[in-house]
Formats: sequence, C-alpha cells, structure tokens
Amino acid sequence: MIRADHVAGTVGKTMELAVEVRDLVKVYERNSRALDGVNLKVEAGKVFALLGPNGAGKTTLMRILTTQLKPNSGESFVFGLNADKDGDKVRRLVSYIPQEMSVWTDISGYENLLVYAKIYDIPSHERGKIISDALESMGLRDVANNLVRTYSGGMIRRLEIASAMLIKPRILFLDEPTIGLDPSARKTVWEQLTYFKKEYGATVFFNTHYMDEADLYSDQIAIIDRGKIVTSGTAEELKHSVGGEVIRFSTGNQVSDDVSNKVRGLDMVSDVITSDSELTAVVKDAETGLPEIMEALRNENVTVVKVSITKPTLDDVFLKYAGTRLESGDRIRDVRQVRGMIRRG
Amino acid sequence: MLVMLELELRRLKHDRTELYTRSVQPILWIVIYGPIMSQIRAIPTEGIPYTDFITPGVLIQSTTFVSIFYGLTIVWERDSGILKKLLVTPASRYATVIGRSMASGVRAIFQVLIIIPVALLIGVRFLPNPLYFALALLIIFFSSGGFAAISILIASLMKTRERFMGIGQAIIMPLFFASNALYPLKMMPPILQEFALFNPLSYVVDAVRSLMISGDLTSLLLDVGAIALFDAIMFTIASVSFKKIIE
Repeated sequence: MIRADHVAGTVGKTMELAVEVRDLVKVYERNSRALDGVNLKVEAGKVFALLGPNGAGKTTLMRILTTQLKPNSGESFVFGLNADKDGDKVRRLVSYIPQEMSVWTDISGYENLLVYAKIYDIPSHERGKIISDALESMGLRDVANNLVRTYSGGMIRRLEIASAMLIKPRILFLDEPTIGLDPSARKTVWEQLTYFKKEYGATVFFNTHYMDEADLYSDQIAIIDRGKIVTSGTAEELKHSVGGEVIRFSTGNQVSDDVSNKVRGLDMVSDVITSDSELTAVVKDAETGLPEIMEALRNENVTVVKVSITKPTLDDVFLKYAGTRLESGDRIRDVRQVRGMIRRG
Repeated sequence: MLVMLELELRRLKHDRTELYTRSVQPILWIVIYGPIMSQIRAIPTEGIPYTDFITPGVLIQSTTFVSIFYGLTIVWERDSGILKKLLVTPASRYATVIGRSMASGVRAIFQVLIIIPVALLIGVRFLPNPLYFALALLIIFFSSGGFAAISILIASLMKTRERFMGIGQAIIMPLFFASNALYPLKMMPPILQEFALFNPLSYVVDAVRSLMISGDLTSLLLDVGAIALFDAIMFTIASVSFKKIIE
C-alpha cells in the first residue's frame, strides 16, 4: 500500500511543493471531526484531485488551505507559506472557486470580472486587456454583456474560471468544479481548465466525488474518507495497487464473512471486498479465476445472479481502502442548490 | 472598498424594481398620513407644517429599511459562494464589511431621490440651500452604512432568510417609533425618551431635519458626532462577527 503521507512517484527533495499538510485536524461544534489528521503533499505544476464521497472533509480541507477556516491542530502550507499565519500572502497567490457560485447574477459577466479585477487591485491600464483575454479564452465574449442570470450552469462556471484567471494565480482551488453540470458542459469546463493550466503553469487542486474526473484529468489523486487520507498516487498507481482484474458477483443475499473468507483463501485471489449482496474479488487473471470462485460459491450455496469482469477502477480503489463504495452521481440536494441559486439571483 | 459602491450602482442600473416598490410606503406616509394628522395640530412642531416635519423622518425610516434589509443580500451572498470567494481575495475583512455596508448607502440615496419629488408635489418646503441638501444626503449615506452593518451582524447570527426577515421587522419599527421621526422627543414618556437618547435614528432625523427643513443647526455637530460613533461601533462589531457568517 502506498503510504498516505507520501505522494507516490517523483517527490524528491528538489521538487517544489504547492501544498503541504501535516496532521491537520478540524472539529466542528457538533463534535464531528471533519478532518482527522490529514497529511498531504501536492507538487507544484500538477493537477491534483482530492477524491471522496460527500461529507468526507474535502471542502473543509480546501477552506483551511484558502485561509477561510482555522484548523484545531496541525499545519498547512501553500507554496511554503503557512495558511494559518501568513493568510495575507497566501491570498495573493491563490484563486478559489467555491462549490456553489461566486458571481453576482444581477449584473453582466463583464461587470463581474470588472468588479473582481478592482477587488484584486489590478491596475486600470491592464484591466481592460486582462478581462477581455479572460472572456475570450473562456468562450464568453459574445455573452459578456448579458446578465449572468441568463447564463447556463456551464457558462457560469467558465465565468468563474475567467475571474480566477485575472490574477494569474500560482494555484487554483476548485471545489467540485462540475457539480450539477451535464456531461457536455463538464467536458467544456475541463477543456478550459486544461487551457488555464497550460497557459499559466498553475497548479490545480480540485475536490470531486466523480471518479471519472479524477481519473481523466488529474496527475495525482488522494482519496479522502471520513476525514482521513486513505491512499494517494497517480490514477494508474492506485488502480495497479488493487491488482490485476476485478470480478464482481451479485448474489441474491447478504454475503457472509464465512463465504468471503473461503473465497479469500483461494490461491489466485489477492483480495476480497464485500458490500451487501455484492462480492468483489481481485484476481491476477479472470479467465482462470472465475471458474474457481464460482465453484467455491456453489459449495457454499451462494446463488450468483450476475457476474462482471472489469479492470480495476478508482471505485475499486476506493472500495479497497475505504471499505465502501463511492456514491456516484450528484445528490439531488446539491444540484437543486446550484440551480436554485441561479434562479434566485 | 469603492468597488462595492460601484457594484451596487451597476446592480441598480440593471434592476430598480426594489427602489420603486420600497418607495410606496414612505410616499403614503407623506401623502396621506402627514396631511391628515396636520389637521389636528396637536403636535408641537415649532411652527413647521406637520407634513414638512415628518418628511425627514419618513425619508430616514425608508432608507433605514433599505439598509436593514440589505442583510438579505448578504445572506444571499453567503448562500451562494460569493462571501467565501471574497474572503479569499487580498481585500481585508474590514474593507469588505465597510464596503458592503456603504453600498447600501448608494441604494438609500436613490431611494431619497425618488421620494423627494413626491414630497415637493405635496407642498413640502425644503430649504433652498444646495450645500445643506448635499450635506443631508451625505449624512443619510453614512448613517445607512451603520444600519447596514447592523444588518450584516444580524445576517451573521441568523442563518436563514425567514429568521432574518422577522428580526429585521422587529428592529426597524421600534427604532422608528422611539425616535423623533413622527413627533418631538418631548412628547414621549420619560422612559422612552431615555431610550431615544441611544437611538441612532433620532440623531439622523434631527440632522436631516435641520439641514432640509428647519435650518436650525445648533445640534448638528452633536448629531454628526453621534452618527460617526454609531458607524464606528457597528463597523467594528460587524467586521468581527463577519468571519462567523460563513462557518
């Protein structure tokens, strides 16, 4: 297993760290430990994904790194600056796009950028060009003078990315950047983010509960569950750490420990994970593994309803390290929240 | 800080509905309540026609309404992610709070500019002194900031719009009735007079009344001092509580 406090791969002494987190703990009033000793390193210039289910602590960690919240203990650094103590300096290096929405809907897209440019003290002679470049590269030139209220969810996200570009940050923090967006809008948003990263060489740090996004767009992934980083590495490394191939058996009933131990005892099975009526076995080679496991299940009187064989996905990685499945898809509440926000504005 | 005022102007440019609907109530006070009550002549207004006497009070009441409910905008900005994002900009928390508060002053000034023509039509005689008038607007502008800071404070304590609405109403009406907006303080029961002494609204009304209607500037300095003190206190408290708003 890859140790949680080491980002797998090439972290050497010389590599600049964009983010470093040590033993971070955050306890909210309701006594819930949002962060329970987080350790993390993110290399500069990479796209980093923090993957985890809703309520795992992703947002809390990001809000501490962006100086909005203070941790109860532990330290966090952004480009070597202490996020807790050097907040002023950190804020000059980072752009942040919250999960919900960070633009005013009752003024135009251009006016939003103008207001943010002034908040960021961008000198007036540079302002015009910077704003029009940002609008241009995010494909918003034609709608720049329309009220944001008339924008689609994807356009609003792109406007937010445009506003994040204004200060050419060294690191961009994105909290669930594509929540509530349809697949084609998600794709566009990611194309723009990739452009952004290429253009400015910025580090991108994003939270997500979409496995496919973490898989497709990130250089490094850390998986967080219940306030702890359970594993980290590149998508390939993580999937590799699960093993060769994954066979998933849907059975009619709850899978007992007895059965899963029997299967685990088989030679070619390297790992078994059960959740409810599903048994997932990791094998080196599915072609020879499948008959043996079927045999074993039949001996235990387990009825198999369905079998599927896949290469390991990040979902399997999550299952292995966190012991549960990552909920996929948006929670209705989140989507409604974002939609409602736009309407109300 | 100034950019927040600009933001407010730009929002008003796109949508002024709120200003118009909010001006209905004060106009009713001036057009109906004032003329009817002035028939009675029971309120000692030191020679000023009653409608003229209450016009500054009604103006201030309506601008205070605007400011106190400005917190709703803040609640909306909290529910969306705008406040979170603002906290991650290099702008200081104080600048953000004061800027947001003063932005309500922009709204208040426009509110005043809608009501005054109606008051003129009804026959209210304003002092024809542009300097006094400008000073009165300035006082309204700055006092609105203080009231909006109260509103930001409430917003950081009340987490929902509904609660906010309730508290907002519960604050404005006592401020209005326990002030010299509709009648001189002398007419109030002694306890209420004591209360009115700490009511910032009284000082604002008094200052605006002397500059717009009576021309009697003897207490103007005291009024301005009281308003400045009120603003300073509210800005400080609101800035301190502001961090709480997004936790």
